[in-house]
Order: sequence, then C-alpha cells, then structure tokens
Amino acid sequence: MALTRRQFLTLTGGATAAPIIFLACGVPAEELLVEAPLEMPEDLVSGLDNWYATLCRQCGTSEGVVVRVMEGRAKKVEGNLDYPINMGKHSARCEGGLQDLYHPDRIKGPLLRSGERGTGQYEEVSWTDALGRLNLQLSQLQSSRNQNSMVLVTNPIGGHLGMIAETFASKFGGRYMPYEPVERTNLKAAIKQVFGQDRIPDFEIENANYVLSFGADFLNTWVSPTRYARGYGEFRQGDRERGTLVHVDSRFSMTGANADSWIHVKPGMEGILALSIAHVIIKDGLADPAAAQALTGGSNLEEFAPESVAAKTGVSAETIEQVAHDFASHKPAIALGGGSAGAHTNGLFNLTAIYSLNYLVGSVGQPGGVVFNPAPPLSEIANAPSSSSYQDWADLVNDMRSGDVGLMMVRGADPMHGLPGTLGFRDASYDVPVIVSFSNIMDDTTAMADIVLPEHNSFEDWGTDTPDAGPGYEIVGFQQPVVRPFFEGRGEHLGTRGFADILLAAAQGLSLDLGLAGETYKDVLQGSAEKLFALNRGSVRAGDFKSFWNGMLQRGGWWDVNAKASGGVPAPQRLPEAEEPRFDPATPGRFNFHLSPFSSTGIGEGQGAHIPWLQATPDPITSATWLTWVEINIQIAEDLDLREGDVVRVTSPRGSIEALAYPHPGIPPGVVAIPMGQGHVAGGRYAEGRGANVFSILSDLTDESTGALAWSATRVGIEKLDKWIRLPKFENSVSDPPEDEEGLVIEITSDDS
Amino acid sequence: MAESWGMVIDLDKCTGCQACVVACQSENNIPINDEGLFNQRRAIEWIRIERYWEGEFPDVKARFIPILCQHCADAPCEPVCPVFATYHNNEGLNVQVYNRCIGTRFCANGCPYHVRFFNFWEPEWPDSLKNQLNPDVTVRSRGIMEKCTFCVQRIRRTGRKAAQAGIDKSDAELERGLNPACVNACPTQTLEFGDMIDVLTAVKEGTRLPDEPKSKAGAKVKKELEEDGGRGYRLREQLGTNPSVVYLRKVDEHRKEVITHG
Ligand code: SF4
Ligand code: SF4
Repeated sequence: MALTRRQFLTLTGGATAAPIIFLACGVPAEELLVEAPLEMPEDLVSGLDNWYATLCRQCGTSEGVVVRVMEGRAKKVEGNLDYPINMGKHSARCEGGLQDLYHPDRIKGPLLRSGERGTGQYEEVSWTDALGRLNLQLSQLQSSRNQNSMVLVTNPIGGHLGMIAETFASKFGGRYMPYEPVERTNLKAAIKQVFGQDRIPDFEIENANYVLSFGADFLNTWVSPTRYARGYGEFRQGDRERGTLVHVDSRFSMTGANADSWIHVKPGMEGILALSIAHVIIKDGLADPAAAQALTGGSNLEEFAPESVAAKTGVSAETIEQVAHDFASHKPAIALGGGSAGAHTNGLFNLTAIYSLNYLVGSVGQPGGVVFNPAPPLSEIANAPSSSSYQDWADLVNDMRSGDVGLMMVRGADPMHGLPGTLGFRDASYDVPVIVSFSNIMDDTTAMADIVLPEHNSFEDWGTDTPDAGPGYEIVGFQQPVVRPFFEGRGEHLGTRGFADILLAAAQGLSLDLGLAGETYKDVLQGSAEKLFALNRGSVRAGDFKSFWNGMLQRGGWWDVNAKASGGVPAPQRLPEAEEPRFDPATPGRFNFHLSPFSSTGIGEGQGAHIPWLQATPDPITSATWLTWVEINIQIAEDLDLREGDVVRVTSPRGSIEALAYPHPGIPPGVVAIPMGQGHVAGGRYAEGRGANVFSILSDLTDESTGALAWSATRVGIEKLDKWIRLPKFENSVSDPPEDEEGLVIEITSDDS
Repeated sequence: MAESWGMVIDLDKCTGCQACVVACQSENNIPINDEGLFNQRRAIEWIRIERYWEGEFPDVKARFIPILCQHCADAPCEPVCPVFATYHNNEGLNVQVYNRCIGTRFCANGCPYHVRFFNFWEPEWPDSLKNQLNPDVTVRSRGIMEKCTFCVQRIRRTGRKAAQAGIDKSDAELERGLNPACVNACPTQTLEFGDMIDVLTAVKEGTRLPDEPKSKAGAKVKKELEEDGGRGYRLREQLGTNPSVVYLRKVDEHRKEVITHG
C-alpha cells in the first residue's frame, strides 16, 4: 500500500487536511523572515505540527495520548483530554514511547542467530526468509502432531491484540501464556472472590472522603497511577472537604509519603490487620448490619480484637481503633490493596480481607467508592486480559526441561529477566529447540532467541485496548499509527512489522482459520468498529461509517459514559479463614532482613530500562537514578557502619546481588527495599549490565491457593563490601538550602506564617 | 496590555511522581542526564522535585516541592549578566538568549533558587534520538546557561494561532497549547498556569487584589492569599525577588496545620 505523506495524514487524522491548508496560508509573513537575534530564537517560525490521538503502550495501563508530529517525526507525547482513563494527563513512562521509537539500538529488521545461543551473534535476513522459517517450525509441529509444544508468550494485553494472540495459540493447538513480572493473579482472584468481577473496578478517589490503602503504591506504579493521581488531586483540594489518605505498608513508599498517616505493618500481616479493623467497625455498631452478617456469619471476629493482634501486626491497638473509626465515619470510604500486600504466601487472604472492608462501609458500587467495570460491547474482546501465575511458569519450566516445548514465541515480555532466578528459566530454555522473539529491542529474552521478527513500535501500529481497570463504563481505546514505520526506508524485506499482522500472516501460511473478519489487523479492527458504529450511542456517533471511523481515531477511541456495569451490588461473601504468611527461610537466622522489592517509577519492572529518560527519572523518595540501591533504615545503617554508596552484598537463600546502600529515614528497621528493573544482561546501551536484578534472588514461595509468586516473602542478609560507588541521584545536585550555625536548615516561609 | 505569565503550585496535591520532570525533558531538548552527569552534580532539570525529610521513623514524612525558574519580576539573575543574555521580556518572562550567553555563570550565582543550569559538556544524542528533538527549541551548546522558559515556544505558537483566529491567547480554548509541558502532564493538577498580570502587580505593589482575576490561576492565588488560613506564599519572598510562581502550602492533617518548606 503506497501512500504519500499527505494521504497518510489525511487518512489517519480524519480532518487534518483542512488545518494544514489553513495554517499554511496563515503564517504571518514577517515570521518567515530571519529575525535579528534580539528576539529569543524560539520566536522564529519552525514549521507546522499535528497532534494525533493514539494509545501509549509503554506500561500495562495503556493511557490515551496525543502525539505531536512534525515533518513525519514524533516529537512529544501528551495525555488525550478526552480519554476517560487519564483525561489529558500522562505519566513519565508515556513520554518514554518516543525514545523507544527512536532508540539507537532498535532492531532494524529480521535476525537469524548465527553463533551460539546467548552470544548475541545474529545475521540479518529478509522477512520472507524469516517468516518462512517460522512457518516451517510451526508446520513441522503440525505434521508431527506436536502442536501443544508451541508456547506463545506475550505481555497481558487487552483488546484485539490479546484476542488474536490467544486465538492463534488455541487454534494452532498450543499454549498461550501472558507474562507480567509483578503478577496480578492474587489481585484478580480477590476481586473475583469479593465482588464477583472479572475486571478490576474503578476506585473513585476524587469523590471519596477516606482512602485506606494496603501495600498498593497506587500513586506511583500500581495498576493505573495516572488515573488515581488525577483523583487524588481532587481528593486533596477539590471543591469539598479535604480527603484523608491512610497507607498501610511494610515499606515507606511514595504513596506512603503522601499519606496523612503511614502505618507500618509487619510484612504479610495486612489481612489480619484488615480483619481487626472489621472487628472494631462491627463491634462498635458502625457497620452495615446486613453486610456484617454476611461477611462474618454473625461472629464479630472477636479473635482479631486490636489487643490480640497488636503484637502480631506491629500496629498498636489504639491505631487500629482509630483507623477503624475514621474509616467507617468518613464516607464514602475506599479500602484497596495490592502490591506487596498480595505478594505473600497468604496474599489472596490479605487482599480478600482488605477488599471486603468496602462492604462494611457501604462503598461497593457507590459514587466515591468501588465502581465496577462492564465488559466492552464487542463480544470478540469481551474477556478481561488474562495472565499466567508463577505456578504456570514453574510447570512450563518442567515441560521445557523434559523436552515438551518445541517452539517458544515471545512478544512484549522479558521472562528471562523477570522470572525468579531460582526457577532456572534461562537454563531450561536451552532445552527448547527454537525460540522466536518479536521484540524490537535486544532484551534478555530476545538475546536467547534463534529468530527475531521485530515488531513495530506502538506509534507505528494499529491497535485497541480495553483498559483493566477501566473508567467505570464501556470503553474501547483505539491506537493508530501516528508516524510511518521508522525503518520503512529499508524496503519491504527489512524493517519492522506489526505483531498482529505477523500472526495473521503466519496463520494464513498454515491455512489456520482464526475466524476473524479481515485479512489485515486493520481490517479486523475496522470490522469491530463497524459494530460500535451500529450501536449508535456513546462518544462518537456519525451518519456513515467513514466519519465514525475518522471521528473515533481523532478522539482516541469509543466509550459510553452511560453504559455502566449492570447487575447491582453483589452479595458479600463469607470472609476467608485467616492465614499467616510464611517466609523463606522460615526462621531469620543470618537472613535477618525482610526483602521488599518494589516497582520503579521510571523503568517499572524493567520494561523501561532501555529508555534513557526513564533511567534518569529520579526515584521520588531517594532521587536515585540509573543504578540499583538498597534502602536500609538509617539507624541500622549507622550500626552497620554503612554510608550512602557503600556496596553491600544482599544474600538470600537463593542467591546474592550487590547494591549501593541508601540509608533511609523512613524504612522500618527490619526491612530492606530494592527497586526492580535493573540488572539486564542485554537490552541495549542504556540497560545492559546496569545495576542488579532483584528478581534473581527471590524465593519461589507461592500462595498455594492461586499459584501466585510471593515476591515479598524473601529474607535476606546484608554484608558490607570494601567498595564505594557514588549513587547517581539528583538530591544535592543544586546547593543545599541555607543553614544556620547549628546546621539547621533556615525555614524560609512567608511573613504571615 | 501585555501578559505576565505566572504559575500556582499546590503542594497539597503534588505526589512527587516526576511526570512534570520527564515532560519537560522531552519538550525542551534537555540533554540526556546520564549517570556521569548525576555523579558530577551536573544533571539538568529545568523543573525538579525536591524531597524533604521530616521527623524520624516511625513518625517520618517526606515532602515534595517542584522547583523551577520563578520568573522573578525583580530577578537577581538579570542585572549581573554582562551581555544582557538574560533579561525580562514584556510578558513577565525571564528569558535567556542563548546566542548572547558567554558563560560567565554570574546569573547562576545570583539566582537564589538554583534553577539555572550550565552546559558543562556539549550535549550529545545518538543520531536516531535526534528525530525526537523539538524543532521549536534551540539545542544549547557547551558553555551556555539554560533554565525553565515557561515553554516560551508554546506561548509563541499559541500567540500565532490566536492571532489567526482573532482571539486572545489566554482564551480557554487555547489553554492546552499555551500551558507549559509540565502543567499539561501533571496528573494531580498541582501545577496551573496563566496570565497573572493583575494579581502579580497588585501583590508587588501591595494594592488590593483584582475582583475578577483574568485567569483561573490568578483566581486561585487571590482566593488563597485573601482567605483566612489561605495557603499562598512565594519562595524566599523576603529576598524581594517578586517571583511569578505562587506556592500553596501542604496541609498536615494530624498537626492540623499547613506546612511550608523551601
Ligand atoms: S528564579 Fe532565578 S533564574 Fe529565575 S528569574 Fe528568579 S533569579 Fe532569575
Ligand atoms: S507531575 Fe505534578 S504531582 Fe507529579 S511531581 Fe510534578 S508537580 Fe508533583
């Protein structure tokens, strides 16, 4: 399909042609003159720009963005004002999409391994050659009736891409395994158990009066941080009374820093604390009686009285009473949990107990509370994106070892980096005859691949998304290419291709009927868009399909604010049996610190490690960048004679890594925290060999009820090494604030305070 | 009458998420802050988040404050420049003319807010990343001072659009284009931008604040300055710099008080 640039702009932008002509005639003549440098250089005219709506696919949230395009190049990302999730706002990670697009180490065309596996030796081949090889592998499995030894791994993706990947795998007869380094297995299971929902509900923080969060760093990295932060701004200083945020966590996180109170709980005791809060609410008659009856079956959870659990949870009885009373008397109130609270051997119990609190204060299905998300009105993509549990991965590794995996295809996921080292995924991968990667960056998994079929960057490709968590009503976000593929100039045999289109082509080559309407990905999307058009409701309505399609692409998708979840408030379920966490090792011994790994603000769990802006994004609390540090309580650090930058060895029963000490005023004495995301063996110039990979020392304990990894259940010991490396951080980059003779910072305040 | 651009920063909303910082890097062609630059204390962030510790474990707090050029009406950075590379324009902006700058760094010494950054090295990008550079913004070279411009290129562009459409550049319709990149990004709406000439002039001259400020940002400042228990203040105000950035204090729920830092 040969398009001129003008046609392309017209097609993708709908009404863009008109403004181009208008602007082109409208630039005032004097601005075309080269001006004397008396004026700022910024005064000189520099061309025309267009903003196109699309989706950001840098993290699982997938926000709606608009991208500024000039001369065919993407220049800037901003939030899409219309898009219900982020409403014009965007996170630091969205901006990273630009550097992903123009990454200097992007893979420019299909590659074939030419040296030993893992040595990084590849030769470039044509798409015809590479796709031929993929098809050969697939058809060999077909003819030897070994289809089930094909495994397709992707990141958890909603919308059509997830559906196509899943359909491809199942129609072929293979396995589909969505992979995420910080799995939502327990979260999804708890939401299902407590609310009977397949989708994560929307938390209407902007209308809440009280938010009680457990372990979820929701303002920073958890599920949909931009959406929550948008609510948080209103919650703090909106047109009504200021809301109160109480954060329960075993670590001092960014969300904890912003809370009115941070309650540090012993790791894994979040659920028991929640039951104690429930007990106080019920005992003092503050609970919705019907809900209390349903949840407890008439008992008032006496065994969880604050005095009885204070020692166990590390939270004083007064604090528990106080929080319970405040929570129950400042409605609407929301209880939410996730992150480390769900990453224990009792993670599901913790989260179930936490989310059940919402029933006691009547916030389920209420404004300012927990609002359910309906499925999108397209049956083909109605399922929420799924993901595999750690147990599934452990089973897979067994199959790999026993030769039951003949072909592994990986897209948008880096399990070599993110799966705990103790699982031995890397070793087992040598038993897989063929690994195919669709990544356009040489990440740790791609570096082990035999065939690399690099996919487009998301700004070059089509797509849809059904966000999980959604906004509380029906939504289908649309992604359109905003620039032509960067490597298009290399001709059709090299360069990158869309992942969905590669799968569709492969299916065609195998004569596999995926049951999709359309030959290309875009056709499939248009087919679904026609159904949305036929609904004739929601944010985009038009007289004919063409205008509908263009209008929808211009707005970044389709949604209907009136189409909310039906079915009313589900009846509360009995609370689960209380369960205490287990740790590895079971007794501290020389592993006397609890290890709390956390997602990084910039690089996430490693997905953004190749992007220099995100590497250079200071951690909100420590302002550290680029390397891996370990947060150690400042008092303990003093006892151990540790200064910032001292290299320490962090050892768990599963291995050890080195990290730079950061004496931290906020972290509890028995806990050390390490950011996730570094320690790549590959990943391009900005990621490779940088910092340490905290996943490599995690224990493989799981929550047995769900198979989810208990990634917060590892105990470690720390040991000072005789080495010091400056911690690259922004703090103190500019001079210190003025101090008086005693070294106290002079408070600079306005006169009236 | 020309505008005087100003910003309100509500510290009770800021979470320290760094979205503003990265949005600024992307909009303004800020060189990649590699590890070495951080270690040399030469990383450049036109807007930065400072974090202050308060108290000790377990009663510990971390407070965040975004700091950028305050576009002072009486800017101490301006008179010290021997070549007039930094001066005040008629829209209340403290501007930096890169091709005049000779790198004396006097201005950076003069600025009490430490928001001026010197290019100690020639900024370098791998060729492909240069595709992202904003053509509206000069790439600074080694030996040049730089700092926040309130995204003057966006103000200019919006001015042109407004002139074409025959409307005012402060028109609500043009707000997204006019706003600096950080303001559009900020998920919590901590940052608000607008023409605050009426409010800032009244504050400077100690006269009554206007009844109906021209911009939303101005109206917010008026409310917070006039109300009992209002939270408005300016950083290091007593130095007489007359900043165009107004901060609103953070509220500490437990101490039932509002916190100031800076
Ligand atoms: S904040 Fe500093 S650089 Fe900005 S105008 Fe004031 S003195 Fe000058
Ligand atoms: S984007 Fe907003 S909330 Fe985030 S750090 Fe900047 S000012 Fe604060």
